[in-house]
Amino acid sequence: MIQRLTLAALVLAALAVLRAAPASAEPYLAVTTGYKCNVCHVNPTGGGLRNDFGITYAKVLLPAETVDNALDSWTGKITDRLRVGGDLRADWTRTTAPNSPSQQAFSLDQVRVYADLTLIPDRLGIYVDEQIAPDGSQNEEAYVRYGSTTDGFYVKGGQFYLPYGWRLQDQTAFVREVTGISMATPDKGIELGYEHAAWSAQFDVTNGIANASSGSGYQVTTQVVYTKQIWRLGIAGSSTKSDAGDRHMGGLFAGLKTGPIAWLAEGDIVHDDSFPGGRTLAAALLEGDIRIRQGHNLKLTAEYSDPDRSVQNDQQTRYSIVYEYTPLPFLQVRAGYRHYFGIPQNDQQHQQLVLFELHGFF
Amino acid sequence: MQARLFTLATLPYTAIALCSLLIAACAGNGEGLDANGRPLTPGGAAPPPLSADFESLQANIFTPICSVCHVGGSAPEGLRLDADNAYNLLVGVPSTEVPSVLRVKPGDPDNSYIIQKLEGHAAVGKQMPFGCPTSQPCLPTTTIAFVRQWITNGAPAAAASADVTAHLAIKAIVPDSAEPVAGSPPQIMVAFNRDLDVSQLATHTVHIEKLAPGAAPVVTEKLSARISMPEGNLRALLIWPSRPLSVGHYRVVIDAESSASFSDTAGQSVSVGAPDELGASVLSTFDVEVVP
Repeated sequence: MIQRLTLAALVLAALAVLRAAPASAEPYLAVTTGYKCNVCHVNPTGGGLRNDFGITYAKVLLPAETVDNALDSWTGKITDRLRVGGDLRADWTRTTAPNSPSQQAFSLDQVRVYADLTLIPDRLGIYVDEQIAPDGSQNEEAYVRYGSTTDGFYVKGGQFYLPYGWRLQDQTAFVREVTGISMATPDKGIELGYEHAAWSAQFDVTNGIANASSGSGYQVTTQVVYTKQIWRLGIAGSSTKSDAGDRHMGGLFAGLKTGPIAWLAEGDIVHDDSFPGGRTLAAALLEGDIRIRQGHNLKLTAEYSDPDRSVQNDQQTRYSIVYEYTPLPFLQVRAGYRHYFGIPQNDQQHQQLVLFELHGFF
Repeated sequence: MQARLFTLATLPYTAIALCSLLIAACAGNGEGLDANGRPLTPGGAAPPPLSADFESLQANIFTPICSVCHVGGSAPEGLRLDADNAYNLLVGVPSTEVPSVLRVKPGDPDNSYIIQKLEGHAAVGKQMPFGCPTSQPCLPTTTIAFVRQWITNGAPAAAASADVTAHLAIKAIVPDSAEPVAGSPPQIMVAFNRDLDVSQLATHTVHIEKLAPGAAPVVTEKLSARISMPEGNLRALLIWPSRPLSVGHYRVVIDAESSASFSDTAGQSVSVGAPDELGASVLSTFDVEVVP
């Protein structure tokens, strides 16, 4: 126990030094528990800084073994009005592709800090998500929030992630790449949200990712999710007006808990006029998270991508198996293997990836 | 709480999960497609093996990997890396992120921006291909070595592009009226099929006009522009607007006092520019739209 406490203390100390920030979303946890995103996260659409319950969950229910003493006092709150968090992901990856030498590297995948300042309790707050490494400091989210994010309407204004589909930890998932909406693509604008009982809905008007540095064009995104204890269903749509080519998309996503397995599924279809003549793309995801025992999760994922519905034989798939071990609060070790399959004449569509990740968060 | 939740009773669920994953859709067989997943054009062929010549680099790197993003009017930094435009927008052309560094400086790979971007030590922006190493692999050192070697060799154009029998002609102008460009283009590139005579370049001057909407050309703004040739590439001209272009419709006009014909190193000449109803000799027209 002492060794584990020491390890946990070292991890927290390292995170404090690095001012690391919290995890990306893991929506399978929401499906497992039957909770809406706002039960554990400050952000009502999930991901990022955890609230009191999220921290408690991370300390007590997520890890294989809880640790007492110092960690018990940690709630993420610096003061009654200021909450902070952090997330650090350090990876070792080995990538191979046919006819190319394999590559392997340690990398600092992500160091992020979060802060939420409550100006008026349950009414007015400021939220910031800053990535501080790699590639220098970069603001991901920064918005003012007015209203209740737990029951009723709220409004966000500033820069934030768009609500669309599963907010996956893996930003390279086909459904996230094809839609172009992920936790790597924040946008500037306003969001009107509604949270009540099993319902969660958002309506966003933003610049549009394609119009990020211009003064014209806009993107309208909406999402509605209905959440029950063992299942949930969501529908999302987004339309971008851009001189570079309009882009319209729609998607369905669902979660289901069957015994120890949390299922996640999503299907999206995108029509993109920025390609000459226009192009319709499609992507789908099926993920099964098997809870072996507390602190142990086996994630199996199958993905499908059709980069152009009008072209035959160009589909791509991707299969992943990832084991996630959370031995202690705020520390996770992940090991995984991913295999891409695509057209035989493109070696890059046949990559294999081996991943080891150390993930610290608070 | 150490309840063991994974028991024999849960095996059926696990089996369902695994089966569902295994029966997921299959990848395409690639029949009738090129390496980029696009339908083959008549006469299309498999890419040549990777080597230190531009044709191979284009077929193995720029087309299948880079031009996924670097294509069309919304190409990042205006850098189109499709087969038609890559060479003339790379070789001897200043980078937009660090204009003092050429994208490809013939003979000097260390001071070529493309190498800095591929190796991940450029002063600005992220390593390319975008997302490497976490979401896709970086180019292997051995692959980059071919790019380095090509630059060390002087960054020659593809052998197949040598068109010694044809008459001097313009091959392409980027941007042009066929496709709007997203944001102010760093430069307008005019590609020829043969090496130009550099000594005659000083006799050519152009300017850029912004036109009002409508069928008839009504000039609302006139901008100066300068012409240069990319270092190490005699088959392209670069026209540099004196300032960034706002959204609108533009045309490149050859100055009245300028020569309207270009000559190649063999003495052939070609007249460029088409006169309009105002008497201006128009080299090209294009639309500037938004930056993606």
